[in-house]
Amino acid sequence: MINPHPVLPEFEYIKPENAEDAVRFLKDHPGESRPFLGGTDCLIGVRDKKFEPKYLVDLKRLDGFDILGFDKAKGLAIGAAVPLNRLVMSPEVQAYYPLIASSAREVGGFQLRTRATLVGNLCNASPCGDTIAPCLVYEGSMNIIGPAGKRLVSLADFFKGSGMTVLEVGEIVQSIHLPLPPAGARGVFLSIGRNALSDLAIAAVTALGFPDESAASGYRFRIALSAVAPTVIFAEGAQNLLSDQPINEKVIDGAADLAAQACKPIDDIRASARYRREMISILTRRALDEIWTALKDHNRKAG
Amino acid sequence: MAKHIINLTVNERKEQLEVPAHLTLLRMLRENLALTGTKNGCEAGECGACTVLLNGEPVNSCMVLAVECDGAEVMTVEGLTENGALDALQKAFIEENAIQCGFCTPGMLISAFALLQRNPKPDEIVIKEALVGNLCRCTGYERIVKAVKDAAVSSGRTR
Amino acid sequence: MKDSTTFPKLVGSDVLRVDVREKASGAAVFTDDIQFGNNLLHARIKRSPHPHALIKSIDTRKAEALPGVKAVVTGDDFPGKIGLYLKDRNIIARDRVRFIGEPVAGVAAVTEEIAEKALDLIQVEYEPLQAIFHPLDAIKPGAPLIHPDLGDYEVANFIFPKPGTNISNHFKVRKGDTEGAWKSCAAVVEREYYIPHIQHVPIETHVAVAEVSHSGKITLWSSSQSPFAQRDLIAKTLGVQTCDIRVIAHFVGGGFGCKAGVTMEALPIVIGMKVKGQPVKLRLTREEEFYTNFVRQALVIRLKMGCDKDGNMLAMENTMHWDGGASTEYGVNITRAGGYSCTGPYDIPNVKADSYCVYTNNTIGGPYRGFGMSELHTGIEQCVDELADEIGIDKVEFRLKNVVQGGDILATGMLMHPTGIKECIQKVAKAIDWGKQSQPSAPHKLRGKGIALMWKAPAMPPNPGSSATLKLNEDGTLLLGVGGQEIGQGAFTVAAQLAAATIGLPMDRVRVAWPVDTDYSPYEWQTVASRITWSMGNAVMAAANDVRKQIFEIVAEAWNENPEDLDILDGVVISKRTEKEIPLKDFAVYGIPKENYDGWIGGPIYGRGKFMPTYVTGLDKETGQGKRAVVHYTTGAQAFEVEIDSQTGKLEVIRAATAFDVGKAINPDLVKAQMEGGLVQGLSSALFEQMIFKDGEMQNPNFVDYRIATSVDLPKEILTFIVEVPQDDGPYGARGVGEHPMVPTIAGIANAIHDAASIRMQGPPFTAEKIYLAIQDQKK
Repeated sequence: MINPHPVLPEFEYIKPENAEDAVRFLKDHPGESRPFLGGTDCLIGVRDKKFEPKYLVDLKRLDGFDILGFDKAKGLAIGAAVPLNRLVMSPEVQAYYPLIASSAREVGGFQLRTRATLVGNLCNASPCGDTIAPCLVYEGSMNIIGPAGKRLVSLADFFKGSGMTVLEVGEIVQSIHLPLPPAGARGVFLSIGRNALSDLAIAAVTALGFPDESAASGYRFRIALSAVAPTVIFAEGAQNLLSDQPINEKVIDGAADLAAQACKPIDDIRASARYRREMISILTRRALDEIWTALKDHNRKAG
Repeated sequence: MAKHIINLTVNERKEQLEVPAHLTLLRMLRENLALTGTKNGCEAGECGACTVLLNGEPVNSCMVLAVECDGAEVMTVEGLTENGALDALQKAFIEENAIQCGFCTPGMLISAFALLQRNPKPDEIVIKEALVGNLCRCTGYERIVKAVKDAAVSSGRTR
Repeated sequence: MKDSTTFPKLVGSDVLRVDVREKASGAAVFTDDIQFGNNLLHARIKRSPHPHALIKSIDTRKAEALPGVKAVVTGDDFPGKIGLYLKDRNIIARDRVRFIGEPVAGVAAVTEEIAEKALDLIQVEYEPLQAIFHPLDAIKPGAPLIHPDLGDYEVANFIFPKPGTNISNHFKVRKGDTEGAWKSCAAVVEREYYIPHIQHVPIETHVAVAEVSHSGKITLWSSSQSPFAQRDLIAKTLGVQTCDIRVIAHFVGGGFGCKAGVTMEALPIVIGMKVKGQPVKLRLTREEEFYTNFVRQALVIRLKMGCDKDGNMLAMENTMHWDGGASTEYGVNITRAGGYSCTGPYDIPNVKADSYCVYTNNTIGGPYRGFGMSELHTGIEQCVDELADEIGIDKVEFRLKNVVQGGDILATGMLMHPTGIKECIQKVAKAIDWGKQSQPSAPHKLRGKGIALMWKAPAMPPNPGSSATLKLNEDGTLLLGVGGQEIGQGAFTVAAQLAAATIGLPMDRVRVAWPVDTDYSPYEWQTVASRITWSMGNAVMAAANDVRKQIFEIVAEAWNENPEDLDILDGVVISKRTEKEIPLKDFAVYGIPKENYDGWIGGPIYGRGKFMPTYVTGLDKETGQGKRAVVHYTTGAQAFEVEIDSQTGKLEVIRAATAFDVGKAINPDLVKAQMEGGLVQGLSSALFEQMIFKDGEMQNPNFVDYRIATSVDLPKEILTFIVEVPQDDGPYGARGVGEHPMVPTIAGIANAIHDAASIRMQGPPFTAEKIYLAIQDQKK
């Protein structure tokens, strides 16, 4: 019987002065403390008794946690406390990492995005997390601070399963770093929900294509599929098909089929596995069509 | 249970309160400050009835802790009316019959107000997207969208 | 010479609402906003986790001992049964529970948190029983009885329960000879549809505060469509006098039927009886709102209809099994309404209908905007489309041919009054260019057009009354007292308009007294059934005419004239004969002095009026026949142009047209606002909404997984049309329209989907997934 608390259960609020203090506190209170950023997932989990922390540790005001820094050589650094709205409205994110802007725009409503953070979304590791796939496609890495010091973990290695990451007790993410996307890259984020907007994804495809001389087709693709497996997955077979031979409509169809085969969707109250699989096929084809057209256009213009 | 002293400004008035960690901004406004214009529709960050401005940006106040608001500026629907004079948005909502039961109205007004602050001349699609986090069951939304558009045209806001 | 034609007419004009300044400034008081002070207690309810079980024992001692807990109550304290048409419910469960979420104990404590903690300390021992979740399972032989004592329940004399079964009402219609008529039919369509449970989703959840004084007077503040009915039902159940309960009803943040009758409101009262002198507040969480209170009944409907070679409908046979849930105290009347309106707005000579209200262990079915009509028309209008196709007649033409008209004899034997349904059909068909194919916006998209009609009568007992009071104040302003509630529809505004127009005052000199308070407000049956403009409006006009009469008597005496020669314009009494004038404010309370102050004429003026229909008759138990089943029918039509993305199943409404015959639009813009809002709510129920149950437990009691229409889910264009064929006994000819605008929507969308993609689904919601899979499966 689903009937959460009408009021939040009791907990203590800890506001550490710096990252080291935060890490130490979390390490010293394993199993009863939890990091807290935008709260949009955390407070729901607390309310629903998904977890029952004695302490919520607010990381938002820690030094460096609210940076949004773009460097033309190094790429983009997004601090853990940066809310989604800031990303949606950032000219650099729109220009250089449009898939993050377009996927973030579809999360919830405007009020939610004032609080929800990208890093929070990533750490929540939901199978249908809309913003996770774009970060994977842009090959982000997480700057983690923990009791054992700092470490950089590639996002591809960050997720263990549905709701599970490699973060150890006491570890927090300070920021995510995204390298510059490959030159000439074109990307599309396509998602299907139950309403026209604001719903979480039933199925989503995030795809990026870019010129690459080392590929037989002259192009490489990164295709990430959301909400159809315990974590976001790459459609590797489809990716390989698109790099191994000249690209045409038949190849794109084949890639869409391979993407559909790659996913492991489930039936749940939101959608059936069959529908999810077929939508992956459709969305992959639409994404690839759009990207391919843009790549060809650019190629033609470049002469 | 530890209590925290917070100092904040609500509708341009300074307030100092002692609050437990788990008190949400929504409940603090409604229960501690008797500002009942902001409504409780779901307490899960989904319906938007609790929308207020926090440091100038709209948030679902049911998903914000009061303790996080130390040093913050909060505006609720009560802050829209200035010395009894209705804001252009409020007037437009009235003129367009965009209010029926009135329960979603405070949240809608705040979301719309924030929209016009960042985008003084939004088109219909932008308005609809900005309000997607505010659920209404009575009006069917069209009149609300029209009211926001009217207010954008007529607005001479100084804030 | 001034007369009423030189002044702007109030009736028929888009007067601004009287309640919106409060609502726009956040000052409007809803029940959870009332400030009660430090001695307010908070209630929480312990609820059954089982859909069907015996209660073996309840131990509340640990809960009672928790510091801060002031009262714990169980069903042991309250044996009385409660219900509007059938008393089948306990305020708190006794002996057995019948649905997940049923109250088994209540706690009041100094904070909501302590009350919540106390719930965990209440130990309840259950013995689960076999549960039933589908009405067709409930009627199988050998099905466990959910209400074994059905035969002992007090029941209204127009409801027919079947003790010893799970059927709490069986309404029959037998008109003509359907068996014989099939033989003459050139085309027959037979179908079955399932319309699932949905919930009203008012943005304001239920909330009620109760205080029982030391002298035993009960005061209840509730978000309520029915303050008087709540007072009445609770008084009877608790065995107290009506005058010892007072219900105060502030603004309602959305009702749609769920705040009618009594649901959770009795709970804080029974808890409050243990903490006399302290108010006790109970507010439902959103989750509780979804599955512990009222929902719209699910329906299994089997339809059979046939027409002759020219397309004249000859016969209709409908069987309806309504999933009433654990208590059908209100749902039995939905069953009845589904029965007597079973034909939809068509003139059919041979009709057979069986409408069953069936107990299950699902959530309690109750009044939901439309009162059975959405569910019924979802079946009828799809079948009518198919029948038209079968016989080869255009679907609009087919409807125009068969639609009900004034003078027809309806399925119950009632004589139909004049109605503008044909005009409604023509308007909506034209608005979407019916008959013309429109081009899809892309090769993989499909376009289609669909139309659906509806009718509905206010579903009430035969004798629901309204009353109104008007007090003239010292300055000539007017205070209007009503018992009907402002739930968003604009009831207060229309009442003020009618009072002002009838007396001859400008709107800004009339105030509606709110909140409605059963100690001071005049009686109103309930704010339901789309009856308020019509019924309460009549009472307001009667009170206004009563005031006018008193005014004219006073002035006529003072001026030595005939009352017939007097009029009131803009708050001034004038003589049409002599052009003498006197403003109301000069004598409204204090009277008029005689010449030379040789005495006084008049005094305080207080008008009263009432309205109660006196012509509704009973209906025969076996045939459903009777002289006058209902007060009147409001009819209407909707038409849709949709575009479906065949690759994803996503549906977009390109154009939606909606038309209703409201008799007279007292405030046309408010009528249009109802029509728009209802259409969007209808669209939401057609495309998104469904309560998903597993073994009686709702799987999606939250906004994440119970989707409703948002601002981006709207049709590209909504066109509204008001048709006015006056109602003989409505104020200025008006009849109601509150519920109707969402009734035909599911069927209209279904018909448009069929036109676009040649598919029909078993029932709503027509989600993208269902549409996509239906298209795919059809290809195979």
